[in-house]
Amino acid sequence: MTKKWLIDRRTCLRGIGASLALPLLETMGWAEAPKSHPYRPPVRLGFMYMPHGVIMDQFWPKSPETYLTDVPRCLESLRPVLSECLIMKGISGVPIAPLNGAPHALELSTWLTATLPDVHRRNTIHIAISADQIAANYVGGLTSLPSLELATMPQTHKENQEGLNEAYYSHCSFRSATQPVPAETNPRRVLNRLFQTQNQAQTSTSNAADPLDRSLLDLVLGGARDFRKRLSAGDQQKLDEYLDGVRSVERRIAAIEHRQKEAALEAAGLSVTKRHASDSPPIEIKIPEGDKRSDYMKVMCDLMVLAFQTDTTRVATYIGSTPNGVSYPELGFSDEHHSVTHHSNQAEKVEKVAKITAFNIEQFSYMIQRMRSLREGEGTLLDHSLMLWGSGLEDGNHHQRDNLPFILAGRAGGALQTGRFRTDLTGNQGDLLTTLLHGAGIPLDRPIGIATKRLNEILVEA
Amino acid sequence: MIMGSGPLSFLVFRGTALRGPSRNRLSPAPQSLSFPVSALLAALLAAGIGLAPTPLHAQSAPVAPATASPENHAASHQEAQTVFREKIVPFVNTYCTDCHGNKKQKGGMTFRNALRNPGDSAFRKLWKQSAASLKAHDMPPEDAPKQPAAEERAVFLDWVTKTKFLSPKDPGEFVIRRLNKVEYANTLHDLLGTDPRIAQELPDEVFGAGYLNTLSPLLMEQLVGIANQVVQRALPSGDAPPSPLEIRLFGPSLGNPAEANPAHREATRRSFHALARSAYRRPATEAEVDALLAVYDLGIRNGRPHRESLRLVLKAILVSPQFLFITPAVDPAPDQPIVPVDDHQLAARLSYLLWATMPDTELSALADAGKLRDPAVLSAQTRRMLGDARARALFDGFGAQWLGLGKLAEKTFDSKKFPQMTPSLREAMVEEGRLFFESVVRENRSVVSFVDSNYTFLNSTLAPLYGLEKEVTGSEFRRVPLTNPNRGGILGMPGILATTSFPNRTSPVNRGVWVLEQVLGEHVPPAPANVPALDKQDKAKVANLTLRQRTELHRTNPVCANCHKILDPIGFGLENFDAIGRWRDSDENGGPIDAAGELPGEKRFSSPQELKKILAARSEDLTRNLTERLLAYALGRQLEGYDEIVVDQMTATLAQEGHRMQTLITQVVTSYPFTHRRIHPLPAPQNSPPAKNDKKVAH
Repeated sequence: MTKKWLIDRRTCLRGIGASLALPLLETMGWAEAPKSHPYRPPVRLGFMYMPHGVIMDQFWPKSPETYLTDVPRCLESLRPVLSECLIMKGISGVPIAPLNGAPHALELSTWLTATLPDVHRRNTIHIAISADQIAANYVGGLTSLPSLELATMPQTHKENQEGLNEAYYSHCSFRSATQPVPAETNPRRVLNRLFQTQNQAQTSTSNAADPLDRSLLDLVLGGARDFRKRLSAGDQQKLDEYLDGVRSVERRIAAIEHRQKEAALEAAGLSVTKRHASDSPPIEIKIPEGDKRSDYMKVMCDLMVLAFQTDTTRVATYIGSTPNGVSYPELGFSDEHHSVTHHSNQAEKVEKVAKITAFNIEQFSYMIQRMRSLREGEGTLLDHSLMLWGSGLEDGNHHQRDNLPFILAGRAGGALQTGRFRTDLTGNQGDLLTTLLHGAGIPLDRPIGIATKRLNEILVEA
Repeated sequence: MIMGSGPLSFLVFRGTALRGPSRNRLSPAPQSLSFPVSALLAALLAAGIGLAPTPLHAQSAPVAPATASPENHAASHQEAQTVFREKIVPFVNTYCTDCHGNKKQKGGMTFRNALRNPGDSAFRKLWKQSAASLKAHDMPPEDAPKQPAAEERAVFLDWVTKTKFLSPKDPGEFVIRRLNKVEYANTLHDLLGTDPRIAQELPDEVFGAGYLNTLSPLLMEQLVGIANQVVQRALPSGDAPPSPLEIRLFGPSLGNPAEANPAHREATRRSFHALARSAYRRPATEAEVDALLAVYDLGIRNGRPHRESLRLVLKAILVSPQFLFITPAVDPAPDQPIVPVDDHQLAARLSYLLWATMPDTELSALADAGKLRDPAVLSAQTRRMLGDARARALFDGFGAQWLGLGKLAEKTFDSKKFPQMTPSLREAMVEEGRLFFESVVRENRSVVSFVDSNYTFLNSTLAPLYGLEKEVTGSEFRRVPLTNPNRGGILGMPGILATTSFPNRTSPVNRGVWVLEQVLGEHVPPAPANVPALDKQDKAKVANLTLRQRTELHRTNPVCANCHKILDPIGFGLENFDAIGRWRDSDENGGPIDAAGELPGEKRFSSPQELKKILAARSEDLTRNLTERLLAYALGRQLEGYDEIVVDQMTATLAQEGHRMQTLITQVVTSYPFTHRRIHPLPAPQNSPPAKNDKKVAH
């Protein structure tokens, strides 16, 4: 195999200094496939969010028959990849009564949980594990990052509708009922995290890890377990998050060490890379200067693509925008997203909402097209992925949630039937998430949130 | 990957999950949403939200400051119990449960659970809402078969003000709390002299009530990375002579002695006691010291020199829970549900509240001597600490959030309309707020001076907004006396006027909501989801109206009118200030500003100055609001149940002592919930209604 730079060398030097240890980069591969079972790339799951709903008649295709030809304005950017997409109308959100006054605090936090927070403990986080984290629990052990969480804005919005904990506003991923997963907003840091390696100790960077870290963390963990015995029940619960965090760091170090061993074996000619010779080389990351939103969102999308492509993770979420009064100066107006969604059918505001929606979908489309352009195995990266774009409201004007806007892209390795607009299905958000995880090969022991069924119609019969 | 594992994999849902979600849902199906939201809003408002003479919480004003003594609390508890059993249960069963019981739960409202455990804080809102509806005669509805007599209504309303006495005396849990980003950085600095910027890459956090105290794998990863950097920066490697810090941390006598020397190992172990005392902010147990020794041994075993092994120990400390969390020094008593916060944890709690960093030598010494729990000592320490420069943390963590100034840097403004909203002007606006907040604290002024004062802090960047560009020059901030009575206090402060505006114009509604919620502590319900659109009006007509006239259209609709008749006058009273806080006499279309208005209780005003006076007269509400907010911030949780009694008491004391800010802060710090914590669940409440009623409810 010829050596290929994972990341353009200049970007690397300019972007994150010497902390990216180049010699390790060619080792990004995946676990070896026995000869008897030909290698199949794994399925990747990606989720991207936009708050406040859409202008319905500018989002939904006119009819299933004209899906590919008569493209509504908000979906225009997806035109080249419509055959890779599946759009469904008839998926309802989580009913939010009795928290009726909290449509925005709940639109994001119910999105991947399909669950209403515990109303009796609303001032703390009490919801449910989210679909992405269920998937990460199953496939996360196979990659150096179990899952990747990205966001465009910091998750520090402070407002509590209906007395709900502020974190409900800005989180979609929950590791357990009580643990929201924070997202990263700094592309440079994400890049660094994706490819940070043990080798840095030798490259004399300040963030260097130590070969004894794993043993050291083991001892710290042991001490913490002893300490736990001396705590009250409430304190113990809190400490469990800490223990979980330390164990996860240990696992990550182990995964990196495993990769290093593989690399060494490969260098010694004792093992062969699993990547196909025809696979596209890892994409280049250019971290934008300035603060243009579309540049920023594109680089976050790129990072997600790169993480999938290099099998650094198989599960990723991207909160493209949060429900907290974000505005879009790039579109030529300064109004806040939330305030224009209460448009009362005024043409000017409707127009702005449509523009914001189209803008968000453009970024998603960019990501999908990029994934389709990357060869992997017998197909493309997109063929082996399942990407969901959506919002937690149907129309922000009246906070409806009967037909949530969803765009699915990718075939999940052949599990999903794409290239259609379906209006003949009804179900709820939980049904959809349950179906998607099933399609991605994640076994579930219970339906997700309010789910009552699986939408088998969108899957290719096994 | 597992593909096509067949439909069977879906059928292994455990337990009863497949029976369908609707059976054990907490809420009714959406179509049963027939409870009139408007009626509820009207009721809430009629019950005193806004500026009515008897606001909701004023009804629960302290009967007497002595209510918190155990006997009085027990007596009030007993009385509230008795009234509940004898009057309230029959009342609810007669007038309410037909629609809000087991069978029907109109508007998602049911008394079923509340009747079983009326004192549970989960039902506080339910009781208050029903009181509001009842008071406004919205409930029971006009066509209900039975209507309560005036006297019955009065008994119910009076009892609702006493539901707080049903809550057991409970300080709350105070679960071990992780240091937030700022606290973590400051602590590293105080402990090791590390530049606090080392933590700047950590994600920002929301402070205060509901502060997100979780520790994710991502954060843990970052903390390990930072620990690596800190250790490398703090301790020299190789053969360099020991740094002063190294000597301070590990003692003077340890150069590079021969390895594997038992006496030397024992000396090393001893040095860990002092190190752990500072890093854990409490004495370490022998087991904790042994755990550090094990890390040291790991280094030695792997051929690391003595110094390198000490670096490992420091690193282990920096990623251990005892460093990252505020932890108790005393093991939990197995049989006591509520215990005092021990001296060391109290010192840390206080220090992180006022300074956002670890306790200093004086505070630590008092904790070691076991004196900090003395209220006089605690108050004296609080005053001392408020005089220290580190007390700016109270503004950064609390004040800025309270005033909404934390959002200003990120807020979008229309750059064509307001080209002057540069980062430096935004910074200056926040700085004005900070200096003003700190002056009220340092000079121990009355809480009322937040609303009404005759000075502020300006520099040349900010002065033009006040029209004082001639008087104030230079980038240095200074105290400036204000002669214009419309300014002075937070209502005339540009930073606050800007955060409550839209990017391109003022929002009287936002400003009104802000004043009610942030200043007076009222709860303003969100606009109902089914707001009728204003576009039913004649569009051409609407286009010609001023902002005020357009906003007043709200009030032609009864659904909107209830809230807006209180919000709008306050907001319009501030219309002389534009979206970035400049004074103006006419709006952007050239029409004159009409800042006159009237608030319930025939309180009329015609300028910001007069509005300020009306608000300043509500000193009890201002104090109560700030007390509640600061207490919630100090406890790191929302207030509930028993806290209400604590706040009553504090508000009463403050009224006697001139609403002074330092008094308010020491009240919070010496309060029962700040100095105690619950470590086990309280015994089950004895306040279930008699079995007979219970049955009736259950049916």
